[in-house]
Amino acid sequence: MFKRKYLATFLTSLLAVMLVISGCSGQSSTETNQKKATDDKQDQPIAKKEGNSITIAIKDNLISMDPQDTNDTLSGSIQSTMLEGLVGFDKDMKMIPVLAESYEASEDAKVFIFKLREGVKFHDGTPFNAEAVKVNIDRVSNPDNKLKRYSMFELVEKTEAVDEYTVKVTLKEPFGAMLNNFAHPAARIVSPEAIKKYGKDIAMHPVGTGPFKFLEWDQSDHLTVEKNPEYWQEGLPKVDGIKFKPVPENGARVAMLQTGEADFIYPIPTEQAESINGKDGIVVENRPSIVARYMAINTTKKPFDNVKVRQAINYAINKEAFLKVVYRGYGSEMDSIIPEGLQFYSKQTPYPYDPEKAKELLKEAGYEKGFETTVWGGNNSDAIKAMEFIQQQLGLVGIKVNVIPMESGTLSDKIWSVQNEEDAEVELYYGGWSSSTGDADWGIRPLLAGGSIPPKSYNVAYYQNEKADQLINAALQTADPEKRKAAYAEVQEMIWEDAPWAFLVVEDTMAGMKNYLHGVYLLPDGSMSAREAEIK
Amino acid sequence: MFRYIVRRLLGIVPTLLIVSIFIFLFVHMIPGDPARLVAGPDASYQDVELVRQELGLDKPLVSQYFTYISNLAQADLGTSMKTKRPVFDEIAARFMPTFWLTVWSMAWAIVFGLLIGVISATKRNKWQDYTGMFSAVSGISLPSFWLGLMLIQLFSVQLGWFPTGGNESWTGYILPSITLGAGVAAVIARFTRSSLMDILREDYIRTGRAKGLKENVVVWKHALKNAMIPVVTMTGLQFGFLLGGSIVVETVFSWPGLGRLLIDSVSFRDYPVIQAEMLLFALEFILINLIVDILYGVMNPQIRYE
Repeated sequence: MFKRKYLATFLTSLLAVMLVISGCSGQSSTETNQKKATDDKQDQPIAKKEGNSITIAIKDNLISMDPQDTNDTLSGSIQSTMLEGLVGFDKDMKMIPVLAESYEASEDAKVFIFKLREGVKFHDGTPFNAEAVKVNIDRVSNPDNKLKRYSMFELVEKTEAVDEYTVKVTLKEPFGAMLNNFAHPAARIVSPEAIKKYGKDIAMHPVGTGPFKFLEWDQSDHLTVEKNPEYWQEGLPKVDGIKFKPVPENGARVAMLQTGEADFIYPIPTEQAESINGKDGIVVENRPSIVARYMAINTTKKPFDNVKVRQAINYAINKEAFLKVVYRGYGSEMDSIIPEGLQFYSKQTPYPYDPEKAKELLKEAGYEKGFETTVWGGNNSDAIKAMEFIQQQLGLVGIKVNVIPMESGTLSDKIWSVQNEEDAEVELYYGGWSSSTGDADWGIRPLLAGGSIPPKSYNVAYYQNEKADQLINAALQTADPEKRKAAYAEVQEMIWEDAPWAFLVVEDTMAGMKNYLHGVYLLPDGSMSAREAEIK
Repeated sequence: MFRYIVRRLLGIVPTLLIVSIFIFLFVHMIPGDPARLVAGPDASYQDVELVRQELGLDKPLVSQYFTYISNLAQADLGTSMKTKRPVFDEIAARFMPTFWLTVWSMAWAIVFGLLIGVISATKRNKWQDYTGMFSAVSGISLPSFWLGLMLIQLFSVQLGWFPTGGNESWTGYILPSITLGAGVAAVIARFTRSSLMDILREDYIRTGRAKGLKENVVVWKHALKNAMIPVVTMTGLQFGFLLGGSIVVETVFSWPGLGRLLIDSVSFRDYPVIQAEMLLFALEFILINLIVDILYGVMNPQIRYE
């Protein structure tokens, strides 16, 4: 017995020592607010950096380097250092010309003409011209090639090389958001010679026109690119090479940034952002994203078929507190059905936090005593925190919520294997969406159009509104921004009132970097740009 | 002996066949639709169906199994749904990092485990025993993700001695093999201690001591050899487990090994990769068991293989 007591003492003291060591990494801070992590950027000396190459630690393994067969944002981000499209997005996801010098769309959104930049060469020496563009678009729009991005270009009827530097794309039917599809990573142009040479293996040998050339890819570990000295744009690239290394564990990624093994890491968990920011020459940067977090409400189920109940839910949730609890304040409240960063966003009047009003609405709807329901969502810690917060908030107005977190494969099975609307079991679903084209259409249509209910697409609210559907379609019949804007403004207002979702927050993107590094940043869609990387 | 080995090797084929059926069924029974996951988060229904056809997932399960098994018979493990590369290449690239990590972890675990076990057994209920068994209990109970992150924090971030992860230089092996081997060393220490303590009570040990053999010779030569049978069995099992790749340690240390491949492919429902990995683990275990059985005979020539 006596000995055991010693053991206990020893154990306790050992634990204490370990905790002190671990304390360095685990500090948490309680202050919140609408915040900017970058405030203390200037206070610390510039960290030392040897050499002119950088390492970027990312979370997941890379899947493919074939832009037309890629649907993960991360692979697309790495491709962006090597490959370029006719048009692209700037830092704020505004469309800019890249390999096209100018572009125009016909009034009926059916014909698109691109004037190409002259004198650009692919990394393998092949000249960039209209024929090269045609090869790429023909490839992705041919269903026989079974490329993952086929659906973005299936509307293409034909692509013609009008002359050496003019390309004309004709669609089968009008599609007003087509230019955004051309700005999407899937429309980046690969050397036609390389496509011929490598065939399907092009996924392993990307050859483009970008500031960096592909060097090597060890699929189990890292991908490296090197400087393209003949890059067409003056002054780029500014570093000799970039190594992208998948590091799945959050803590390990942070440690790599602390030791300088990595110069840039993302994502960075909000819990750790504050404890490392401003130390060891580390800067954490947060920027608004276009990732919307919402809770879809199955509008076909009782009691949610009553709009008052849905509005009551919106009044019952304190969005500001939600943001603090789930995202430590890194984000903003949703104030339309799409995030501010998307084209044609128009601000709505938020549902203020008002539990009394929520109770009143429930009473009017005949649910004075409340009811019981279930929310489904992912099983990562953010999603669980979010659902438990909603559970607590709705509990205050008499709605008892059961939280059911599910592994992602199981969750998508439960929702998308349902063939008929009547069989859908989902009542509330906590989810998120990022419109990868930056256009309002892809932020609204897959989620809220009548034709998008599961298993077709992602309208988990089973929301059906003929008027809204008409407007969504009308907005696609024209490429005139004014007309589209008007249509989307009306759609947003209508759906906001109808409340098929509990509108929650728009997350921030979070990245950590050493303070000597410039020009690497995250775009609102969560993709990364390292094209302009520079060490200062 | 030779005939025994051949017979055992031939036995592998039916065993693997049965295992393959179970693996196939289990993998296909996990909820989740690979076609949807492959097609991506914002794919349309039509994309998903296209992918489903391409992957052959629209065919009945039985016909999928026969396709799988007949390809397997021709040594074709299939193509990864996620990366569209041959499964064989995916696994081959990750086998060696896991293998070497296992070897190093086992090497230090065996050395330290045996040493602690023997010292604890011979100094029973003295401070050496308590220290030894205390470290053993800690080794078993410390969760490896915690131990790993602590080691990174201390030796990489604070002291800067070792890299935080990766296997690019030999220094990269040190922290992960300590983390991975800690639990194994602890188990070996405890098995050695209890087994050796039993043996030390045997008559022949008393005889040895009585005829004036040095204590070291008694313990290390005569007693330990006989005490090794349960230790070897257990070590073999541990070796098998580690060869499968530790998901936690490989994740914490960004190790390009089989464990990370497994967790990636499970969350992606990459059936061919999961199947191939499980089959490889089964094969590894069968071979390790065979080696363990042969080692019994080496240690104790009384054991016969007929």
